[in-house]
Amino acid sequence: MNRLLLAMASAAIAVLANGVAGAEPAVPSFVEETASDGISTVYSGEWEFMVGGGAAAFDCSGDGFPDLFLAGGASHAGFYRNISRQGGELRFEKQASGLELEAVTGAYALDIDSDGIKDLVLLRVGENVVMRGRGNCRFERANEMWGFDGGDAWSTALAATWEDGADFPAIAVGNYIDRREEGFPWGSCTDNWLHRAEGARFAAPMPLKPSHCALSMLFTDWNRSGTPSLRVSNDREYYKGGQEQLWRIEAGAEPYLYSAADGWERLRIWGMGIAGYDLNFDGYQEYFLTSMADNKLQTLTKPTPGTSPGPAYTDAAFAKGVTAHRPYAGENVKPSTAWHAQFEDMNNDGLADLFIAKGNVAAMPDFAMEDPNNLLLQKTDGSFAEAGDRAGIGSTAISRGAVIADFNLDGMLDLAVVNRWVEAQLWRNTGLDNANWIQIRPLQPRRNRDAIGGWIEVKRGDVVMRREITVGGGHAGGHLGWWHFGLGGQTEAQTRIVWPDGEAGAWEELRAGHFYTIERGRGAARWQPG
Amino acid sequence: MRKLTTAMMAGVAMSAMLSTAALAEGKVIGVSWSNFQEERWKTDEAAMKGAIEANGDKYISADAQASAAKQLSDVESLITQGVDALVILSVDKDAIGPAIDKAAAEGIPVIGYDRLIEDNRAFYLTFDNKGVGRIIAQEVTKVVPEGNFAIIKGDKGDPNALFLLEGMMEVIGANVDAGKIKIVGETFTDGWKPDNAQKNMEQILTANNNAVDAVLAENDGMAGGVIAALTAQGMAGTVPVGGQDGDLAALNRVARGTQTVSVWKDARQLGAAAGNIAAALADGAMMSDVEGAVKWSGGEKGVEMDAIFLDPTPITKDNINVVIEAGHISKEQACEGAMDGVVGCN
Repeated sequence: MNRLLLAMASAAIAVLANGVAGAEPAVPSFVEETASDGISTVYSGEWEFMVGGGAAAFDCSGDGFPDLFLAGGASHAGFYRNISRQGGELRFEKQASGLELEAVTGAYALDIDSDGIKDLVLLRVGENVVMRGRGNCRFERANEMWGFDGGDAWSTALAATWEDGADFPAIAVGNYIDRREEGFPWGSCTDNWLHRAEGARFAAPMPLKPSHCALSMLFTDWNRSGTPSLRVSNDREYYKGGQEQLWRIEAGAEPYLYSAADGWERLRIWGMGIAGYDLNFDGYQEYFLTSMADNKLQTLTKPTPGTSPGPAYTDAAFAKGVTAHRPYAGENVKPSTAWHAQFEDMNNDGLADLFIAKGNVAAMPDFAMEDPNNLLLQKTDGSFAEAGDRAGIGSTAISRGAVIADFNLDGMLDLAVVNRWVEAQLWRNTGLDNANWIQIRPLQPRRNRDAIGGWIEVKRGDVVMRREITVGGGHAGGHLGWWHFGLGGQTEAQTRIVWPDGEAGAWEELRAGHFYTIERGRGAARWQPG
Repeated sequence: MRKLTTAMMAGVAMSAMLSTAALAEGKVIGVSWSNFQEERWKTDEAAMKGAIEANGDKYISADAQASAAKQLSDVESLITQGVDALVILSVDKDAIGPAIDKAAAEGIPVIGYDRLIEDNRAFYLTFDNKGVGRIIAQEVTKVVPEGNFAIIKGDKGDPNALFLLEGMMEVIGANVDAGKIKIVGETFTDGWKPDNAQKNMEQILTANNNAVDAVLAENDGMAGGVIAALTAQGMAGTVPVGGQDGDLAALNRVARGTQTVSVWKDARQLGAAAGNIAAALADGAMMSDVEGAVKWSGGEKGVEMDAIFLDPTPITKDNINVVIEAGHISKEQACEGAMDGVVGCN
C-alpha cells in the first residue's frame, strides 16, 4: 500500500516536471566574448548607412569552422578567420582577404562558379562586387570575368537561386532610395535587379518593376512547386504605393508579380528582414518579417486538399507571441525597430527559436533608444517566450545585421551581431548538457554545389523537421555552411536531402552529436574537424 | 481676431456639450489607445473620461502598447464587452482596417481620434493643422501688419512644413501680392533644428542689413533659434516672432516678450469632444448629423468622411493663464522673468 502510494506520487511528480519543462523552454546561456574575440569591425557612416550592416558566415579556409565577414559601412569591411578550437572560446584573426572594400552594406556567400570554394557578393553604396574565392580565404574581383554589372545604387538586399539547368545562379539584388535625393528621399525607390545566368556568366541585369525600397529578399519555394519564388520585403517609409512583394521567377519566363487576384494581400510594413522556417511541420515555410513596432509571422492559408495553394497568408505573430513590438526590458514605452531575424534551435530542443536584432534607425524620438535584441524560445505549443535577457544576449547597442552559426563546432549555436557606430558583438553559447543535435552539409557534384533550393529533412519523434537551403533573407547577410538541427533527447535521427530538382535521397539513420556531409548519390559521411 | 477664434472654439465645445444634454444615458464608450504609457495621452484621457461620465455614460479602455496586432485584439475585446461606440487612436492606419470591419458588422460607430482612419465608416476628430499656420500669421500680423517678413519653415522632407506654409499664406498672401509685405527670407530648416534655424536667421539678417520686421517660424524650437539670432543683434522683443507647439520654453518667451505667440493644441478640448461625439453616435445619431461636422476628403485615398477639426489655441501675453490653468506648465516656469501685463503672471 505504502509502496504503491509512493510510486503513484513519484509518477505524479514526473508528470508535473515534464509539464513544466514543456511549458517553459530551457534557456541557453551565452557568454559574451566581444572583448577577446579578435573582431574590431564597426558599422560606420551616416545616412547612406542607416540600413545594412550585414554579416556573412562561411568557411573559406577549408577547416569546417565558419569564418566571418562583416560590413563596415563608410569604413573598410572586415574579414576574420576563425581560429577557435572545437568546444573552446571564440577566437578570430583579422586577415587580409581582398574583401576589405569601403561602402559595403552587406554580403552573402555562395559558390557561384561551383568550384567548391565559396564566393562572396558584396552589396554596396555604389558598385556591387562579386568576389571569387581563390582558396585559403583569398578573394578577387570577378565582375568582369563573370559579366556581373555592379550598378551604382544603394544596395541593401540579396537572394540567390539556381534556375532549372543553369550553370550559374540567378541573383536578385534589392536597391533602396536614390541616394542623390537626400533632400527629399520619399518616393525615390530605385529598381531591384535580377542577374540571371547566361551560360557560365551573368546576363545583363533585368529590372524588377515596380520596386519599393527592398531591405530583404529571399528565394523560397513557398508553395512547394519545385521552383522558388522571390519574396521581397520593402520599407514603407520611402515607397509610394508600394507593398510587400512576391515574384514568380520561372526559367526562361518573364518574372510575374503576384497580386490580390492571386490571393496575395496588400501588406505595408517597414520591412527589413525575412526569416523562413517550417514551424508547424506541414511542409510549408512560415515567414517572419521584421519591421518597426509589430513584426509579422505569416503562415500559409491551407489549400483545400487536392489543389495547389495560393499565396494567401495569415498573421500569427500576436497569437504566437512574436510581435516583439516593444523592448522587453528597460524603458519600454516606445516601439522597437527590428532588423535581422533568424530561426535556429538555440537550445537544441528540436523547436526552432527566433533571434531578432534591434536598434533605432539613429535617434528617432518616437522609437525606443534602448532596444534590446530578442531571443524568443519556442514552446511545445508553438508559441514563443522571450529569453533575450535571461540568455544574456539582450544587447541594447544599435544592432543591424547578425549571423547565428556554430563558430566552435560544439553543437550549440553562437551569435555575432553587427552594430551601428560601435563594435560588432560575439556570444558563445555554453548551452545545455543533455540536448542533442546534428549538423548537415549537402553536396552536389557539379552545379550548385551547396544544393541551394533543396531541403534537409530530419525526423524527430512523429514530426519531420525541414529546413529549406537558401541564400538570402535576414538583414544584409547570412550563413552558408553547416545546417543545424536540435534533437532534444533523441540520440539518432532519420535524415535525408530533397535535392533542388526535387529528387529525394534515401533516409539514413544518423547519430546525434555529429557533423555529416551528404553527397548526392553517395550518402552521408561523418565529418570531424582536424 | 484672436478673440474671434477663441469664441469660435468655445462654440464648438459648447454645442457638442449641448447636443448631448438630451441623450439617453448609460451607454458604454470603448476607447482603444495606441500606447497609453506615452505621457501625452493622460490629459486626453482625463478630459474624455470626464465628458463621458458627465453624460452618464461608462468609459472602458484598452492599451495597444504600440502593437497594431494587439489593437485589433483590443477592439475585438471592447466589442465583446458591449460598447455602444468606439474611440480609436490607431497605432497604424494601414493595419486598423479589420477592426473597423468588425465594428461595422456589429453596427458600432467609430471615431478616429487624432490620427486619421481613412474609412467612410469612421468619424475623424483632430485639430486643424493647416489652421496652425494661419493662426501664427494672424497673431504676428496683428502686431506688425506690413513690412519685411522672414519665414522659417521646417524640414523640406516633411509635408507638414508645406501645410503650415499654406496656412500662413492664406493670411498674408494678399498683402504679399500687393507689395505691402515683402518676404525677405524664406528657408527650410534641416531636421526642424533650432540651431539650423538660428543660422538661417543670421544669414537673413545679414543679407538684409537687419531690416526684418517680423518672423513666422513653423514651430517653437525654431522660433527659439530665431530669437537667439535676434538677441545677438539687440532686436529680440522688438521683432514679433510666431511659433507653435506650446513648448515650455516658448511659453516663457511669450511671458518675457521675445516671442509673440505659441499656438497650442489643448488636448482637453480634443478629449472632451471625443466623449461627446461618441455619446451622440452611441445614441444613434448619423455621423453627418454631429454638431459641427464637415465633409472632408483630404486623406491619401481621397475618401469622403465626416470630420471635426478643432481650432488650436494661440497663447500670447494676453492669455498665458490658459496653459497654466490647464496644468500644461507651472506658473513659476511660465512666468519667470515675465514682463509687466502678462495675463496669468500677476
